[in-house]
Amino acid sequence: MKRENIRNFSIIAHIDHGKSTLADRILEYTHALDKREMKDQILDNMDLERERGITIKLNAVCLHTTYQNEEYMLNLIDTPGHVDFSYEVSRSLAACEGAILVVDAAQGIEAQTIANLYLALDQDLTIIPVINKIDLPNADIPRVTEELVNVFGFSKDEIVLCSGKTGEGVPELIEEIIKRIPCPKAPETTKTKALIFDSRYDAYKGVVALVKVESGSLKLKDKIHLMASSTDFEITELGVNTPHELKKDIINAGEVGYVCASIKEINKVAVGDTITLSSDAASTPIKGYKPMKPMVYSGIFPVEPNRFEDLKEALEKLKLNDAALSFEAETSDALGFGFRTGFLGLLHMDVIMSRIEREFALDVIATSPSVVYEVTLSNGEILKIDSPNKMPERSLISCIKEPFISTNIIVPSEFIGSIMELCQDKRGIYQKMEYIDATRVNIHYEIPLSEIVYDFFDKLKSYTKGYASFDYELCGYKESNLVKMDILLNGKPVDALSLIVHKDFAYPRGRAIVKKLKELLPRQMFELPVQASIGSKVIARETISAMKKNVLAKCYGGDITRKRKLLEKQKEGKKKMKMIGSVEVPSDVFLKVLSGEE
Amino acid sequence: MEKIKSVYIHIPFCNSICTYCDFCKVVYNNDWIKPYFKRLQEEIDNAYMGEELDTIYVGGGTPSCLTIEELEMFFSIVNKFNKSKNIEFTFECNINDLEEDKLKLLYRNGVNRLSIGIESFNADKLKFMNRTCDFKDAKERISLARKIGFKNINLDLMYAIPGETIKVLTKDLKEILKLKPDHISTYSLIIEKNTLVGLNKVKPIEEEHDFKMYDTICKTLKKAGYIHYEISNFAKKGKESHHNLTYWNNEEYYGFGCGASGYVAAIRYENTKSLTEYLKGNFISSKSLMGKVDNMENELILGLRKLDGISLQDFFDKYEENMQNIFPLKPLIKSGELIYKNNRIYINPKKLYVMNEILIKLI
Repeated sequence: MKRENIRNFSIIAHIDHGKSTLADRILEYTHALDKREMKDQILDNMDLERERGITIKLNAVCLHTTYQNEEYMLNLIDTPGHVDFSYEVSRSLAACEGAILVVDAAQGIEAQTIANLYLALDQDLTIIPVINKIDLPNADIPRVTEELVNVFGFSKDEIVLCSGKTGEGVPELIEEIIKRIPCPKAPETTKTKALIFDSRYDAYKGVVALVKVESGSLKLKDKIHLMASSTDFEITELGVNTPHELKKDIINAGEVGYVCASIKEINKVAVGDTITLSSDAASTPIKGYKPMKPMVYSGIFPVEPNRFEDLKEALEKLKLNDAALSFEAETSDALGFGFRTGFLGLLHMDVIMSRIEREFALDVIATSPSVVYEVTLSNGEILKIDSPNKMPERSLISCIKEPFISTNIIVPSEFIGSIMELCQDKRGIYQKMEYIDATRVNIHYEIPLSEIVYDFFDKLKSYTKGYASFDYELCGYKESNLVKMDILLNGKPVDALSLIVHKDFAYPRGRAIVKKLKELLPRQMFELPVQASIGSKVIARETISAMKKNVLAKCYGGDITRKRKLLEKQKEGKKKMKMIGSVEVPSDVFLKVLSGEE
Repeated sequence: MEKIKSVYIHIPFCNSICTYCDFCKVVYNNDWIKPYFKRLQEEIDNAYMGEELDTIYVGGGTPSCLTIEELEMFFSIVNKFNKSKNIEFTFECNINDLEEDKLKLLYRNGVNRLSIGIESFNADKLKFMNRTCDFKDAKERISLARKIGFKNINLDLMYAIPGETIKVLTKDLKEILKLKPDHISTYSLIIEKNTLVGLNKVKPIEEEHDFKMYDTICKTLKKAGYIHYEISNFAKKGKESHHNLTYWNNEEYYGFGCGASGYVAAIRYENTKSLTEYLKGNFISSKSLMGKVDNMENELILGLRKLDGISLQDFFDKYEENMQNIFPLKPLIKSGELIYKNNRIYINPKKLYVMNEILIKLI
């Protein structure tokens, strides 16, 4: 295919604005699939993706269509739909020349619309604004048009109207893609450079990398060099997805496809890395590569301690397909053997947890998610701390910095007050506010990521009755007055419950946890103090009084059988308890405390 | 195994049903009595080998609700047992049934211990239990029994009734003591599933309050000269219930009648709780053979109910095992939950009310 007739593009949208349905319709109109093969939302492969309506693993589909008697190749590159994966989004957008910005005709612009559009503009993409779902009875095309014009500065006649559901406007959209989105740029060099924008693991082929060739070409049996990971392989298979896999012998500059090279470890194939030829290597890689860094860490432990090996296997298998997942063994007095696991964000964590439970039938407990703190010691040394239990002694610390995010929170204006209250409560720093239309605003705050990780989403939902849309990006580290808080049972700290918290919030958080524990813990044979402390200073305390009665007051002839059953049941119950020092703790207590502290 | 020395006989009839009662019982109906005794006779004839008995205990239900004629019939069965000279022969009674004729009949037939369900004198507690009892009336009936010749009388006391205060309990205790019983059995209310209180989802009282009541009982009765010899049982010196000690010493006994249970030739069995089944002659509903381990555990579970616990020598004589080798006693002695003294093992009296916690560490 000649370069001038290639169009590489993505579809970007807020969640539920109809991105996947529209993609399906484009596939249908380009005859990529016959009706029999059409299954809703082809691009979302995983069950979990379909269920949640989000894309986790990417896909790129190569489509062919004819326009004015010329054949065109359209490469539709999927993007993940969540802020956790914004780096991957930026890499797949980097493989495109244009993007279709989909906005729901009833909802209008939402937080992710804005975040995704800015990511696309960062890559200098040509944007085609599309108002989707125009078949909806409550579609309000004039209002949404107004928003697109006022907020983003599009002109009215740029906007394409369509319905992914009925197919109305889809042929016109395909035409606009060909007309408006530029073809790939002319290569700046003859040396081969290909951008890796996603990778997955296949049990038979090894790692399958999705690439866009920027210059030169990739051919079967080429010896290739991955520039960032500095490793060499030989190409064993090349091809495109139509969406069926179609093997090819060569991928030329401007084209998108997949590459296999018998690579066993997915972390050798980093998203954003550049493939060049071993023998005739390019001198500079494609710009924009960043090594993947987890943002959120949590200890993951099997509920049944004897399933540690199963958990290890599950994480290893998931890791094959997920270069962003990192884990190392961790031991907890309270929870036994498990893994300190790093995630890109809360959704990523949530997805991994569900997959462990679903695909590996394992029940797991996760400790409170922790962000990565930057701790400067008094001797000037700087440490990255991803777990409360790794926090150095207070006396050794000169300052602690924590990651902050900047928000897009789009809400109907009547909720401005509530949002401000919520953000102030979460230590937010007000930045600015913009009106999207007469009734909706975009509120910008800078908020510590740890507060988002804690309970921001739930609060946001309840403060705004679900009307808010929310997105964020990291904006750097700031110094905060943070302390490590321990929870003590019978005077001994329980490692699984330690957390890093802002000093002003330590008292209410400590009180809440201690109160919750009082509700959840069974009485012991002795009086049990439950305390929250910062260093050696106790800031909250509850006392669980000693067990006073556990006896069968009467026991005559026949009662012995019943009594034995009762004792055996009590003994069974004991087996499910974890011993923390001398305290018997039912294992679900951790789950309950860690899942909802208030 | 030693010869059996004890018999329990269950009479499952009552004139009225108490709200908390979990025993096998039906409302008294004259038609059932004769057929019941016929089957009882049959059951005894099948099993009883003529052993000399040290204790007989007739419980219920309410055995005292039977009429004079029915009682005559009953004793014609019971009198066939080979009774030892010093037999303890207990008959459970409802206080309101104790009339002169009945008492005389019991006495004449060898009954020498009455166990009387007083439970309380407090109007609210009685109402909750669906019982009646008047102090003055009870006093008269008990002195009548004494006059006829009964020298060993037990009174039952229920406590931990919802709404009951320490003051109410103390008054009940005071009045019970005024009746000078030889033995007092106390019962903290247990809300069982298939009782009226259970069905009405009555909530048990706070365990702190329950324990406070228990503590009050122990202290008051000790002060009044009673020996606390089992978790819930108190006796004047020498008046400990021999029959109940058979249970707590894990000794074998016959159990006859609908809903009774027994322990014969290493088998623990339970009779059917269904009167219709019993009247058809289908007596036993379940049986289980007690192995050595079961037996040693039962010895522990039952024996530690007694304040003086278990003699290590007796345990060795019975099982040819050292008790400390079978059960992890040492850590519990160290923690103060168990006490080892005079070659006996017993639960620290302060920990008796959380005995289950200790037992599950042992078995």
